[in-house]
Amino acid sequence: MDQISRILRNDEMTAGYRRLVFLAPDIAKSALPGQFVHVQIPGLRDRILRRPFSISSADPAAGTVTVIFKVVGLGTTELAKAEPGVECAVLGPLGNGYKPVPGTVPVLIAGGYGSASTLFLAERSKTPGLILMGARTEHDLILRDEYQALGFRLLAATNDGSFGRKGFVTDLLEEALGSVPAPAVYACGPRPMLFALGRLLEGRGIPAQLSLDQHMCCGVGACFACVVKLKDADSPDGFRYSRSCKEGPVYPAEEVYCRE
Amino acid sequence: MNDLDLQVKLGPLTLKNPVMTASGTFGYGEEYNKFYPISELGAVVVKGIAPWPSHGNPTPRTAEVVSGMINAIGLQGPGIEKFLHGEHYMPFLRKTGATVVVNIWGRTPDDYALVAERLEAEKDGVAALEINVSCPNVKEGGLSFGTNVESMQRVIRAVRAKTSLPLITKLSPNVSRIADFARGAQDAGSDMISLINTIPAMAIDIYTRRPKLANVTGGLSGPAVKPVAVKLVYEAARAVSIPVIGMGGIMSGEDAVEFLLAGASAVAVGTATFADPAAPLRVLNGIRAFMERTGVRSVKELIGQIQI
Repeated sequence: MDQISRILRNDEMTAGYRRLVFLAPDIAKSALPGQFVHVQIPGLRDRILRRPFSISSADPAAGTVTVIFKVVGLGTTELAKAEPGVECAVLGPLGNGYKPVPGTVPVLIAGGYGSASTLFLAERSKTPGLILMGARTEHDLILRDEYQALGFRLLAATNDGSFGRKGFVTDLLEEALGSVPAPAVYACGPRPMLFALGRLLEGRGIPAQLSLDQHMCCGVGACFACVVKLKDADSPDGFRYSRSCKEGPVYPAEEVYCRE
Repeated sequence: MNDLDLQVKLGPLTLKNPVMTASGTFGYGEEYNKFYPISELGAVVVKGIAPWPSHGNPTPRTAEVVSGMINAIGLQGPGIEKFLHGEHYMPFLRKTGATVVVNIWGRTPDDYALVAERLEAEKDGVAALEINVSCPNVKEGGLSFGTNVESMQRVIRAVRAKTSLPLITKLSPNVSRIADFARGAQDAGSDMISLINTIPAMAIDIYTRRPKLANVTGGLSGPAVKPVAVKLVYEAARAVSIPVIGMGGIMSGEDAVEFLLAGASAVAVGTATFADPAAPLRVLNGIRAFMERTGVRSVKELIGQIQI
């Protein structure tokens, strides 16, 4: 589960976004869409915690695991500098992934670099479907070509209107749901987007799964840092805190308590 | 080198080696038993148990800082009944054969006593209790007992009256004279003391101007606190005759040896486990390697052997 893995490739996809390929045969063998790896960042000297990354692809034959990340802080800034050949400890595959619903058409909904998580699902999907992407600008709408190469139809929204519809990805939901016979929704993105989505889908009988998390420390369920709220009728407050690293990060939408 | 003597005696409690886990950093053992048999450790100290289930604090609950982290988890937990009977808790731990220490907390001395009473009644597999009077992240209980000697003693006495299990009192670093608390715990009937709990701390996001933790403040842990912890363990160990369990930022066998020399009879590994699930075992192997390298045959030759 904790595997010293060699970095094979670490390429910039577009400014600020990178694709990193690890040689990690044991993880590649069992990884499923929606799961993540917990990475000890090489070169990060005075920070001790690992960083979690969604698995964007895994090739059991080649023994490789791919993660796609945005350079956002100290950890990812250091990871961006890691040269091929460098080794680091990679824990995984962790968490519960997406559970494909038989007989449905996948409607993937990605906010920001949430598309890094749903890409693995698209890759393993038996039938192509739709990918709804939302981001701040056209530049941040990453992986469009990859989804289209897998046969997924792209609907996009940007906050500044530089590509697709001006607005939020949730604005594309009705059009998307109306265009396929039996949709099943799989979504990953910022929490406000997922909560909005959860509320929009409430009581409509459409199978939906949301991938959400919080600041993570241990990655395996021991520290109780990364909890998210799930509905809980037995609790006087109507919710309980669930460890997203262990019970999640993917949850059935109807179980998620879609409020902060 | 199997002739190394790693066994330590903590008053009424004997451990096969001096490496324990720090409460709150090891869940209830199940997660890490997937990586290695947790029974290989000196003891497993589980996350705090109260009379009732508790949510813990809102998120974000943690923030990483230089050489450490600040947490305000707020003692999320299943409560004593689920702990005793739920499949992921005590029933699981019994099957592992691990030496289990149950950390307990409450809002009043009676709460602590109630948890102790329930554990006394079903103590199969429970090696000791650790009284948490030092959590900085709950509004009632926790630290409010740990920064006043009389309040701390009321809790210890209430627990002592309900159980014959070995008692550890976990002390806060957030006091002016640690020796007073160490002696106070000893006088009230605690069989040993453990320290340090986290150091009250906070961090601010300078762009949003908001605290990084929803709880605003939290407790600092990790290598950043180690020198503070070594000093407090040294002072506490000189003040009492009961055994001391030392913790605070231990990442390696060398770190652990430093605590032993300062006067700890055993050590606990905490935050390091978040970085490396195998950290407690690595620390144990590091102690072994240090002993071999320096010709020390028994851990007991290290305890309190600082030369001043």
